[in-house]
Amino acid sequence: MTRTRVVATVAAVLTALLLQATLVAPVVAPLAVSLPAVLVAAIALVDGPGTGISVGFAAGLTADLGSTHPAGVLALCWMGVGLVCGLARGVGPARPPLRRQVVLVAVVCSASASAATLLLALVGAGGAEAWSAATGWVPVAVGDGALALVLVPLVRAFLRSEALRAPVPVPRDLDVDRDREPAHA
Amino acid sequence: MRRLTRRQRTAAVVLAVVALLLATFDLGGSGLRSAHGGVRGMLGALYRGTDAVVGPVRSFVAGIPTAGTNSATIARLRSQVEHLQHDLAGRQADATAQARLRTLQLAADSGGYRIVPARVIAFGPGQGFEWTVTLDAGTQSGIRDGQTVTDGAALVGRVLHVDGATCTVLLAADPGSGVGARDVRTGDIGTVTGAGTDGFTYVPLDPKAAVRAGDAVTTGPAGATTFVPGLTIGTVSAVRTGADGIISATVTPAAAPTRLDLVGVILAGGYDQPRAALSPTPLAGSR
Repeated sequence: MTRTRVVATVAAVLTALLLQATLVAPVVAPLAVSLPAVLVAAIALVDGPGTGISVGFAAGLTADLGSTHPAGVLALCWMGVGLVCGLARGVGPARPPLRRQVVLVAVVCSASASAATLLLALVGAGGAEAWSAATGWVPVAVGDGALALVLVPLVRAFLRSEALRAPVPVPRDLDVDRDREPAHA
Repeated sequence: MRRLTRRQRTAAVVLAVVALLLATFDLGGSGLRSAHGGVRGMLGALYRGTDAVVGPVRSFVAGIPTAGTNSATIARLRSQVEHLQHDLAGRQADATAQARLRTLQLAADSGGYRIVPARVIAFGPGQGFEWTVTLDAGTQSGIRDGQTVTDGAALVGRVLHVDGATCTVLLAADPGSGVGARDVRTGDIGTVTGAGTDGFTYVPLDPKAAVRAGDAVTTGPAGATTFVPGLTIGTVSAVRTGADGIISATVTPAAAPTRLDLVGVILAGGYDQPRAALSPTPLAGSR
């Protein structure tokens, strides 16, 4: 990753966190729809699991420290989001259809939201209730999907734009794992 | 599926362990309090800046789900409020009218005469010229010229002119109006003339009559006046003795001429009346 790419990612995550706190969260009040999680997923879908893990962990930790619940919960969950979405990048055609990516992001992000709710309910913090993890899954998935519908193409276009293009050949071209170990996939 | 490289796998495991450790650490004690505080403070400052920009957008977005129904709800509530206020005013008017009707019925019972209730629908052309009111009952209800108008207990005036469905009443307060009167306490007969907004002036026939403030004055003896006798005119509020020794008293009217609403016309004779009149029976089933 170039320095520009890192700066752009940090700025995007910070913007997502601010918008989440001031716009998304108040509007969808009881639901755990999360703009930063969707952003992490969108970035991981373009850049792969390595970036997904690091961006997810960093964004999650920032969100954790900025709120009252125990730090590390969102870091763990959003790291999972980055990991799964990064791994999913390697599946299917080189430019997968937007619909499939949106569905994937919605499912993964709502799953992570439910996981976070369960974790918080488990440790008894943040006023989380375990049953809302189950009842809120579908509405949260719809909300996350709506965010992903905007964010996934946007992030893809940004990260593949000329100004932010990776200087080394795009990883996809060197993605020899698939050819080398098809049996283990 | 694309697999993680060894470094990525290590990083993922290490980060997951770090996250769990942090959670445990944070849960167990207050070790991360300063980190929490620092990040929260930084984000708080940023929130404030962002909120200034995003706040209007947020309120707009938050209002979208109810935007369509809000105006309908407001209109519905507004009409409801108006309806209820109308109901309330009507109920109060009903209560007043009911009390008035009951008084009229009592008057009919005690006086032994029939009373046609009527509502004041217009006041006279103007104060100082001629004090009149128009009622919504006329010859069809059996009203004739000269009949006495009461508000139940007190004198209001007499019918000056009758039409089919309306009649004009000359108020007793009219300066040109004269009424035969009797001081209830002493029984002294005299005349009461209207004095406009000042009420009435009572002049006893006997110049030495002992009129006192507080004396009740009623319409005069039967047959001696065009008015039905025994109706309260008012209460003496002041007594003056003129230079020629003639006593005159100011009488405060019992029925304020400007507050008339439901009044009754006393039918002095047996006229045909299509309009149902109050008969001297108990007011059964009234509301």
